[in-house]
Amino acid sequence: MPSTSSALTPGLASFLKSLKTNAIDTSIENLISLLKRRQIRHSRSCATATAYLLLRVISACRTSDSAKLIERVQSVGRRLVAAQPREMVVGNIVRRVLGLIRDEAEDDREAEYALSEAGSESQPHTPRAFDDPSLPLDRDALSVRPEGSERAARSPLTSMFSLLSHPEPEASLPSTPGSLSPSGRLPGHGPAKDVRAEVLEGIGEIIDELGQVDDQIAAYALDHIHSNEIILTHTSSTTVQKFLLKAAAKRKFTVIHAESYPNNHETTHITVSGNASKDDEILSTESFQKPLIDLGITVILIPDSAVFALMSRVNKVILGTHSVLANGGLVAAAGTRVIARAAKVHQTPMVVVSGVYKLSPVYPFDFDSLIEYGDAGKVLPYEDGDLVDQIDVQNPLYDYVPAELVDLYITNLGGHAPSYLYRIVSDHYRKEDISF
Amino acid sequence: MATSSDAAAADVTKPFDIVATYNELLRSDPDLTMPIAAIEALVLLLTHSASSTISETLDLLEKSTAHLKKAIPNPIGLSAGTDLFQRYLITTLQRPGQLGPAGDFKAIRTHLLSNGRLFIRRAKESRHKIAAFGRGFIRDGSTVLTNGGSRAVASLLQKAADDEGGPSAVRFRVIYVLSSTSQTLGQSSEEPEGMETVRALREKGVPVATIPESAVAYALGKADMVIVGAEGVVENGGIVSRMGTYQIGLLAKAIGKPFYVVAESHKFVRLYPLGQYDLPIEQRVIEFQSEEDIAEENKQQAAKTDANAETPIELPLCDSVDFTPPHLISALITDSGVLTPSAVSEELIKIWF
Repeated sequence: MPSTSSALTPGLASFLKSLKTNAIDTSIENLISLLKRRQIRHSRSCATATAYLLLRVISACRTSDSAKLIERVQSVGRRLVAAQPREMVVGNIVRRVLGLIRDEAEDDREAEYALSEAGSESQPHTPRAFDDPSLPLDRDALSVRPEGSERAARSPLTSMFSLLSHPEPEASLPSTPGSLSPSGRLPGHGPAKDVRAEVLEGIGEIIDELGQVDDQIAAYALDHIHSNEIILTHTSSTTVQKFLLKAAAKRKFTVIHAESYPNNHETTHITVSGNASKDDEILSTESFQKPLIDLGITVILIPDSAVFALMSRVNKVILGTHSVLANGGLVAAAGTRVIARAAKVHQTPMVVVSGVYKLSPVYPFDFDSLIEYGDAGKVLPYEDGDLVDQIDVQNPLYDYVPAELVDLYITNLGGHAPSYLYRIVSDHYRKEDISF
Repeated sequence: MATSSDAAAADVTKPFDIVATYNELLRSDPDLTMPIAAIEALVLLLTHSASSTISETLDLLEKSTAHLKKAIPNPIGLSAGTDLFQRYLITTLQRPGQLGPAGDFKAIRTHLLSNGRLFIRRAKESRHKIAAFGRGFIRDGSTVLTNGGSRAVASLLQKAADDEGGPSAVRFRVIYVLSSTSQTLGQSSEEPEGMETVRALREKGVPVATIPESAVAYALGKADMVIVGAEGVVENGGIVSRMGTYQIGLLAKAIGKPFYVVAESHKFVRLYPLGQYDLPIEQRVIEFQSEEDIAEENKQQAAKTDANAETPIELPLCDSVDFTPPHLISALITDSGVLTPSAVSEELIKIWF
C-alpha cells in the first residue's frame, strides 16, 4: 500500500529520477523489478515509465538503422511484458513505439523511392509520395493519425485483394528498395532525415499524450453529464474524477460512489473527501485537486453491495478501467462487472472513460489469465488466525467485463461504440507488432 | 487483324461453358471454396477469350457472371468470388502504376492468366493462416461444438490436434453436430457431412462426440465454445451458412457461450440480408401442403419426368442455408486476423469504395 509519500519508496517518481543517471541496462532491470514487485501499478504510471525507458533506450542506440532499432525495442519490450503480462499498457506503448519506427522507416524508403522514380522515369507519381514526408509534421498531440486509414489500405495484409494481388516486390520490382531490407539500403545512402530523431520526437508525443489524456477526455464531459443527473461510479480513477470535475464546473448533479472494498476503498475515501496527502505515484498535480464536494456536488459513498439497490435511480454509470481489449471488453477493478450487470438489468447507460493508450490489440482468448489476484489479507486479516487456517480466501483485483455490457467508450479521440474499437486498434498498432 | 482475332475468339468462346467449368473445378478439387472456383472459372474464361480492351473484358465478365449466378442454385458464395475479381480488375486499372491505365492492359491480363494456380494456393494458405490465428481460441481442456463440413473449421481443429504431443499440446474435445437432412431425403447411403473430419480428428486422438441437430441445446452445456464455418460473410457481419447454424447461434447466445465463425476473407460478400427470407436464393424449406397439393405434385412429377427443362433451379433441401445475424457472433476468425462482425463492412468498403 503506498500510504506514505516518502521519496525513498520505489515507484514511478524514483524510477524516473534514476533513469537520468543510471545506465540503460540498470534502468531496464530496475523497471522490470518494479513491475514484478508491483511497485509501479497504475496503468498510466506503467505507460509513462515504459515510454521514458524506451526514450532512453533509443537515444542510447547509436544507429539510425530502423531494423536494428526495431530489434532493440522488441527485445526490451519482450522482457518488460514478460515481467508483468497483465499490465497490458506496457505492451501497448512498446507497440506504439515499434509502429513509430516502422512508419519513419517506410516514409524514408518511400521518399527515396519516389525520388528515384521521378528521376528515372519522369512519370507523375501518386500524390502519396508528396504527402508522406509532410505527415510526421502535422501529426498532432491528439494522436489522430491521418495516415492510419491510408496505411491500412496500403498494407497488403489487410486487404481482401491480397488473394489476387500481383506478387509485386519479388517479381516485378526486383531492384527497388522495397524488396531490399532497409538495413542494406539506408545507411549506405545517407538518409535525408534521421529516423532516430523522428522516433524520439514521436515518443515525446506519446509521453505528452499520456500527460494530457485525462484533460482531453474530460473535454467531452459536458456532452455526457447533464443537470440533475445521478451518476454512479466506482473506485478511484483520476480519469473519472477529472471527467466529473469538468462537468461539475458547469452543472449540478449527484454522484454515487461505490467504495470498492477491500482493495481500493481507502483511496476512494480520499478521493471523495479530498483530505489526505495522496500517494505520490499518481502525478502530484492531482493531489491539489479539489474534490467534487467542494464544487457543491452531492457525493454519496456506498458499499459495493448497495449498487444493485440504487441502480434503479441512477441515470448513468461512468467507470474507469485498467485496460481495454480489442474485442471491446475491458479489464477493470474488481466489482466492475457486478455494476455493469446491474446497469444492464436496469437499462442504465454504461460509459467507460479510458485513454487510447489503455486500448490493447490483444484478443482475450482466456479471460481467467487476465485477472490478477491480490493480497488475501485484505479480505480476511491474518490476525484472524483460526479462520485463515480453515478457509480459502481469494481477492481478485480485476474483473473482465464483456463488450455487450458496455454502451459507450470515451477515449481522448471521442466517444466510440465497443464494436468500433477494432478500428482504433488498427489505427494505432501495426499488424506485425501485435505479437512482437 | 481485328476480324481474324474476333473470329478466333468466337471460335473458342463457343465451347467454353462457364457453368460447366465452375462445377468441374468444384468437383475436381474438394478443397476448393466456391468463391475461388468462381475466380478460377473467370480466369479460364479470360484465357479462352481474346478480349484486348478493358471495357470489352469487363463486359464479358459481367455477362458471364450473371449467367453463372443464374445457373447455380446458391450463388451467394460464388458471387463473393466474382465480385472480388471484378473489383480487383477495376481498382488495379484505376490505380496508377505498372498495371494501371498508364501501363499495359495486357500486363494485368497476363498476370491474371498466369497466376491462376497462385490464387488457389493462396486461398488454401489462408486456411493455414486462419488456423494459426484461431489456435489461441482452443485451450487445454476445452470442448468445442461445431457443425457442417467447413474445411476452414476442419483445418483449424486439426491444426490444434496436430500440436498435441508437441510442446504446446492442446487436449480438447469436440462435439460434432451432424446434419440429419441428408438422411431424411432418402440418401442414407451417403454419410452425413463432416464425418470425414470426425474420423480425421479421432485418428489424431481427439475425443469426438457426434450428436444430431436436435441435441444441440442439450449438449451446449458441456461445450465451452461454438466454432462454425460460413459460406458467405455478409456486409453487416452476419453469416450465411449451412441450415442449422442460426439455431446454434441463438442457443449459444441464450446459454452464454462464445460463438466464433471461421471464414476466409474472400468469402466476404456484398449482401445485406434483412432476415432469413431475404436471401437472394430460392429454398423450399417451408412448404405448406394439403393432401390435395401432394396429389397434384405427384401428378405433375409423373408428367414431367421427360420434359423437365423449364423447371426453375432450386436448392436441394440438404444444401439449404440460413442467415445468422451479427449480434449472435462473438468474433470472426479470418486470414486477416480476428475481427468483430462490424469490421467486415470495413473490409468490404475498402474494396468497393
